[in-house]
Amino acid sequence: MKFKTKYFYFLFIMLLASCSSDDGIDKDEEKPTININYDGGFPHGCEELVRGETYEFRAMVTDNQALASYGIDIHHNFDHHTHDDQVGECDLEPKKEAVNPLIFMENYAIEDGLTSYEINIRITLPIDADTGDYHCSFSITDATGWQSRTSVDIKIVE
Amino acid sequence: MFHKILSVVLFFSLISIAIAQDSFQIKGFVIHAGTLQPAEGANIVGKNLFAVTSATGAFTINNVVEGTYRFTISHIGCESKTISVDVGPNMDELKIFLNESTTELDEVQIEGKTKKREAMEVPVVTHTVSKEFLDSNRENSLMQTLKKIPGVSTISIGSGQSKPVIRGLGFNRIAVVQNGIKHEAQQWGNDHGLEIDQYGIENIQIIKGPASLVYGSDAIAGVVDIQPNVIPFQNSFTGEVNVLGESNNDLLGISAGVQGRKEKWFYRARLTYRDYGDYKVPTDQINYENYIFTLHENNLRNTAGKEANASFSVGYVSDKMKSETFFSSVNAKNGYFANAHGLEARASSIDFDSSNRDIDLPYQTVNHFKVMNSITLAFENHTLKFDLGYQTNYREEHTEPTPHGYMPKPSSTKERVFHKNTFSLNAKDSFKPNDRHDLVAGINTEFQDNKIDGWGFLIPEYNRFTIGAFAYDQYEIRSNFHLLAGIRYDYGRIRSKSYYDWFPSTIDNANGSISYVYLQRAQDKTLDFDNVSGSVGLSYINKNTTYKINVGKSFRMPLANELASDGVFYSMYRYERGNLDLDPEESYQLDIDIDHTAELFSVGVSPFLNFFENYIYLNPTSEYNETQQIYEYTQAKVFRFGGELRASTTVLKKLKLDASAEYVFARQTSGPKKDFTLPFSPPLSGLFSANYQFKDFLFFNKPQLIADYRITAAQNEIVPPEKTTEGYHVVNMSFMTEMNVFKNSSPVQMRIKLNNVFNTKYFDHTSFYRLIEVPEPGRNISISVTVPFGK
Repeated sequence: MKFKTKYFYFLFIMLLASCSSDDGIDKDEEKPTININYDGGFPHGCEELVRGETYEFRAMVTDNQALASYGIDIHHNFDHHTHDDQVGECDLEPKKEAVNPLIFMENYAIEDGLTSYEINIRITLPIDADTGDYHCSFSITDATGWQSRTSVDIKIVE
Repeated sequence: MFHKILSVVLFFSLISIAIAQDSFQIKGFVIHAGTLQPAEGANIVGKNLFAVTSATGAFTINNVVEGTYRFTISHIGCESKTISVDVGPNMDELKIFLNESTTELDEVQIEGKTKKREAMEVPVVTHTVSKEFLDSNRENSLMQTLKKIPGVSTISIGSGQSKPVIRGLGFNRIAVVQNGIKHEAQQWGNDHGLEIDQYGIENIQIIKGPASLVYGSDAIAGVVDIQPNVIPFQNSFTGEVNVLGESNNDLLGISAGVQGRKEKWFYRARLTYRDYGDYKVPTDQINYENYIFTLHENNLRNTAGKEANASFSVGYVSDKMKSETFFSSVNAKNGYFANAHGLEARASSIDFDSSNRDIDLPYQTVNHFKVMNSITLAFENHTLKFDLGYQTNYREEHTEPTPHGYMPKPSSTKERVFHKNTFSLNAKDSFKPNDRHDLVAGINTEFQDNKIDGWGFLIPEYNRFTIGAFAYDQYEIRSNFHLLAGIRYDYGRIRSKSYYDWFPSTIDNANGSISYVYLQRAQDKTLDFDNVSGSVGLSYINKNTTYKINVGKSFRMPLANELASDGVFYSMYRYERGNLDLDPEESYQLDIDIDHTAELFSVGVSPFLNFFENYIYLNPTSEYNETQQIYEYTQAKVFRFGGELRASTTVLKKLKLDASAEYVFARQTSGPKKDFTLPFSPPLSGLFSANYQFKDFLFFNKPQLIADYRITAAQNEIVPPEKTTEGYHVVNMSFMTEMNVFKNSSPVQMRIKLNNVFNTKYFDHTSFYRLIEVPEPGRNISISVTVPFGK
């Protein structure tokens, strides 16, 4: 039994020691980044978009290893349920009920494992969409499954 | 109506059984701890049970019915001591060590020796939590109280709610058992706590390892076994009232319990009410991603809550049988942080800051009702035990209705409703053919029925039936060398029910047309599972040292949401996809425990090695569905190891020092997140406590000052979507004393506790609010007074 005791202690010390020694594995622990705050980025905070028009939605995305997919989501904020994460606050119109709001939800893949990419999607705003306060969110994933999001307050006007 | 019928049936089931059974003899010695000399003339007093020690310190009490008893042992010049004793077949002799009255009461020795010895002989690594521990460490929830035990941590949300985590695993991988019946609620959810009243609990056994052998599915990582309370003494009536006030969340809590017994009939009852406001964090604003939430007077907006619990039990004990029927109802309502629900930042026109006590949207309500009956019948060599239980868990989550995706604005605030009914029946026979063997065989059956409602879909409706049979033998090789080996077989069937969205989604067809479809989120499926598990272990006691080694295989059946979910969890920005091909999780674990306890110090170490064949993991993929990231249930091999170290010593007689450390390493060794850890991995953490007992002064008896210093390392081992968490140091202080206010009555106990003395801002890696950058509560002063009464 004495021998076994020593063996137990030895085993435990080995276990403790092993935890510090195998961190050499190359894991991806970085999220992708997403940015619309540059000259070509669109839309910027509080921007007014005219219904019936076509716009190019642009954002820069980067990752340390490989970008994978992104999504663009435009939904109304007529009930003021949330606010954007951009600098500065926009003046919101009074709350109202939605009749025929624009709902835009699309996903896209980024091929070839790029580490830097400019999102550029043409969206035509329907002529009959409700005007008012909207949100536009971009989201991006990398190949590992990390995600970043950003959202911006916009207005759709006549 | 059903509850009533069931309770009446259970109630009468008490009366109908009467079978002959032996009574037992308690034998033991009382010894002076300092000199190891026998204590002659010591009084051993229990209700209607009394003995005086002889010149050799020996005593005998005859004709004692099986059960758990409390005795007070007193001797001139010594601290009197209260112990609890399990009376049953093959009891060991008690050895009671009395300290001189000038020396402190050693908490470790409060446990009855038989119980302690029993625990030493069982090769399973367990930790027993006494009422004394619970009373002196009580926090806002049961699991937060137990956090002080090395290897135990919590996943918490807000100030009053938390779930158990043992060695880094929680949710459905921990079985919580109350009075022999598994507690069944929505264990998988991470935004609500354990629905058990933490008052009135006397004894908890924690198993830090796989325990499927006895507890079945879900006991894959450990068990929190809340054991039935000690039966009151004959012709007694006692009670206590506890009042608690806290400064951080303006909590006022009151809990009152009574218990009494005539000759054979006994009862217990308890009422608990707690009401608390928003809790305060040591920061003015919370920066979550690019959002900035400014806090009003440091209040974490809308985290107020209230809780009202009631329990009642009636029992019958004779020399033939023991039975107790237990009813309990736990009710809680509490708010969620208003600025971010899940991961979604929210704006609202609700004036949250007008009061720190109101509960606005979002909030949850929960009711957990239980009826349990347990009957023990003892024959010559056999002891039969039956546990029968019914429990119903009803939980509602309310949020401000908002349109999401194609879902229009819902008409009510009722986002999610879960209603789960669980019926359990356990039967067990303990058979002692001779002095060397303790054979135990039993079956567990359980039926669950889970219904859902509300506009947000997360898990499907399902029902689940499981049945398992086990047998094990504890074999005494020598009096200090024990072997335990057992095997178990389980069969389970899960039937998930289909679910369709209540609103149409827009689908672009290949031919350019558009259709509007009520999407199906869950399918009608019947799935069968079976599993063999088991465990084998050795325990060796050499003087003051106990060695244990145990190897076990445990399992867990997949949950309905892991199998069949297919929907958007908007507040977490994710789309969850189940997997019908999941196998039951299987885990193999090697546990070692070495404990050395001498008169002045004790040390212990309990390392473990663990391997999961197919850990079920919600994997964040890189794909999207309707702009929500797809999370998919997958299975991966996982390797884990870790353990706990503990040491304590008594210096200068009055000063007791304790130190403990806990560590878990986890790595996925296959699957899409190969080389990553598991979610909610607790970081390396150590706890140092010093306990100093002063001389009595004024009307204070046994005044003690306790300082706890917790030091936790950073957690840099993360898996998407987690964030690394920095290390921290936190100091808690408490002052405890007894006061002899009333004559001829037990002393009033008072505790003043100061948590987070320096108002340190720190993050707990396993808190649900960690992901939205909410720090842990700031400084808190709590005052608790317990007034006992009765005889």
